[in-house]
Amino acid sequence: MIFLRRQMPLLITLVTGLIFAAQYYVPHPASEQLLTSVTKWLQIIGGFALVLGVSSLFHVHAVKIRRKEAGWGYSVVLYVGMFITIVAGLGYSFNLGQWVSGKEQINGAMTTFGWIYSYMMVPLQGTMFAILAFFIASAAYRSFRARSREAAVLLVAAVIVMMGRVPLGEYVLPLSGDVSQWILNVLNASVRRAILIGVSLGVVALSFKIIFGLERSYLGGGKE
Amino acid sequence: MSFAERMLKIDRRIIFLIIGLCTLLPLLYPVGLPIKISQEVRSVYDYIESLPEESVFLLSLDFDPASKPELHPQAIALLRHAFRKNLRVIVMTLWVSGTGMADQVVSQVAHEMGKASGEGYVFLGWSPGAGSVIINMGQDLYTTFPTDYYGKPTKNLAVLKGVQNLRDVNYAVSLAAGNPGVEAWYLYGKDKYKFELGGGCTGVIAPGLYPLLRSGQINGLIGGLRGAAEYESLINQKGRAIAGMDAQSVTHVAIIVLVMMCNVFYLSMRKASQQQGQARL
Amino acid sequence: MSLPLETILGGWVATGLTLFILSFLYRDNPLFKVAEHLYVGVSVGYTIVKTFDTVIIRLIYEPMVKQGDWLLLIPVTIGMLMLTRYVSKAAWLSRYAFAFIVGVGSGLAIPRVISSYILKQIEDTVRPLMMLVPGEGLSFTWNLLNPASSVNTIIILLGVSSVLFYFFFSVEHTGPGKAVARMGILFLMISFGAAFGYTVMARMSLLIGRLTDLIEFSDPSYGRPTIWLLLLTIGTMIFLSRRTHGEPPDER
Repeated sequence: MIFLRRQMPLLITLVTGLIFAAQYYVPHPASEQLLTSVTKWLQIIGGFALVLGVSSLFHVHAVKIRRKEAGWGYSVVLYVGMFITIVAGLGYSFNLGQWVSGKEQINGAMTTFGWIYSYMMVPLQGTMFAILAFFIASAAYRSFRARSREAAVLLVAAVIVMMGRVPLGEYVLPLSGDVSQWILNVLNASVRRAILIGVSLGVVALSFKIIFGLERSYLGGGKE
Repeated sequence: MSFAERMLKIDRRIIFLIIGLCTLLPLLYPVGLPIKISQEVRSVYDYIESLPEESVFLLSLDFDPASKPELHPQAIALLRHAFRKNLRVIVMTLWVSGTGMADQVVSQVAHEMGKASGEGYVFLGWSPGAGSVIINMGQDLYTTFPTDYYGKPTKNLAVLKGVQNLRDVNYAVSLAAGNPGVEAWYLYGKDKYKFELGGGCTGVIAPGLYPLLRSGQINGLIGGLRGAAEYESLINQKGRAIAGMDAQSVTHVAIIVLVMMCNVFYLSMRKASQQQGQARL
Repeated sequence: MSLPLETILGGWVATGLTLFILSFLYRDNPLFKVAEHLYVGVSVGYTIVKTFDTVIIRLIYEPMVKQGDWLLLIPVTIGMLMLTRYVSKAAWLSRYAFAFIVGVGSGLAIPRVISSYILKQIEDTVRPLMMLVPGEGLSFTWNLLNPASSVNTIIILLGVSSVLFYFFFSVEHTGPGKAVARMGILFLMISFGAAFGYTVMARMSLLIGRLTDLIEFSDPSYGRPTIWLLLLTIGTMIFLSRRTHGEPPDER
């Protein structure tokens, strides 16, 4: 039983990991067919993973409503919004005479689901992220201080790039455009390249550790 | 509290108001300063210009409504250009919450340019799995998307004639707000299937894509709203990006002024405390 | 030409929700909380609809039942195993699903990451240096504005190596190592400064986008929802602040 609970999953990781790492170098049609099939399967499994991600949210708010904790009314708003969206998306459209099947428009006509998407989801999500503009300005004012030489360098680079990336900055100070392009294409590119190489080496090392069973935290679930 | 300290502790809502006004006023009263075109954006434009008619152009709209202001104008400009060049356009998305927007933008521009679904373009929609979708498309497009977004079988569509997988795509552009995005398209796509790849992205992830640009792994990069404005200038069709550039200019200057002021107050506070320290000694 | 009712109603709803969220800038309030929870609810609902339609109907049901592709039972089984994570007695079964996904994912990633992000990036750092080696005659281009010029190639090499060295903590950064690490820090600070500049640009663009929509919805063809709903939001905020007897706002 221990074998089934502990050893077997590790064996599956080892076998699948080695097969697909090797697959990259094997151009045989059977190997290519294996890749096609398994990546197709991963799409289906990816869909189930989304369900996993969403269900924990249900649980948190369901508990809040059941226990009538502070702010449970808002959790009801959440559930109502979700329920209406699901009904609109998977239900039957009497206007258009067919099942909506998750379509935002059918033959050019907007469905209720599409209406919810365009006039509720898009503005809500857009504005949630748009207010970050205010917070970045406030944070910059409060905290962006040249406390040291390095901070001063960061400050100067940020100011040059901010000037150089807008028409007004380039108009007032034409050099800022060229300097900011140089900073991005040469200095920034070199740093990001180093970070990319470093992170990629880490990813490869971690992937090998996972395949060979040295890293097991991804398994989770159940005892041992 | 000295003046400098009071100024540094000012109610943040005043800063919010300043930023709000700096954004709103230029939108209401635009000036229209000229926009210089960068090489990164020009490379994408030139490549599409060089494609012969009926070439296959894949546009992956990998963003959600949060990034709409930056990437939607890029999508519109690229689609207008591609349709003007009579390319065969394949549109899709790797982000589930971006599907509605992708559907809306391609229908809107196709209608404007007189292109029909199935003949001038195809909208494949979304499929879960990110990297696996790209690999699967690289192996066989029709396995990944047996039907288009509206349920029409993809196998016999005129627009996909002769296209079996990603190797048959002449140019792919991913407009990305994060992961999966341009990097995923290179890693799981271009690395093995060798199509030409360009990128569009939000300002947040743009600096991180420059190593790929420098190495030629992507042939061009349209960065943020500024990149979209440059592309609109190149195709000579003013849109939301150019209209937003004045507000962008003013807000940047506002932030620079705020940061300068913060440092002036900070330095004066530091000097005052140093002088106080010396006076005590 | 007058707009259809659903568009006008949509304009009012979109404007209202936008203003409710913007009201957070003054202080946290019930209008914002309602909008925030609605956002989460609608987003999750949308994801569920799309996942059901794409995965269950288009990727599983139609190929299996209409085209007889029963091999798809394998990924369906693996997906179901993943869901056993919620049943404490059977949760260990979910390990098989995760083992498969992670195994395949790691296997697919390793050669691709090595090829794309390590080898190709190192190649591009080193290859231009070959141009500097005298063949037909030494030519060294000094054009700073051309990223492919010789002087920039040297700068890129210095940047990449000094930053890689800076992050290599297994060796103590003393003596000449210290100078290289200091150079690495300098390059890093410039890069972070550029990243900050771009982040500011991105955030401002998002705000510009929303305000453009609000301006569009202040048009008389929509019935000027921006103006009326702005007055309503401000009125509600004043009413709510009177009710809570003017608590001092957040000073963060």
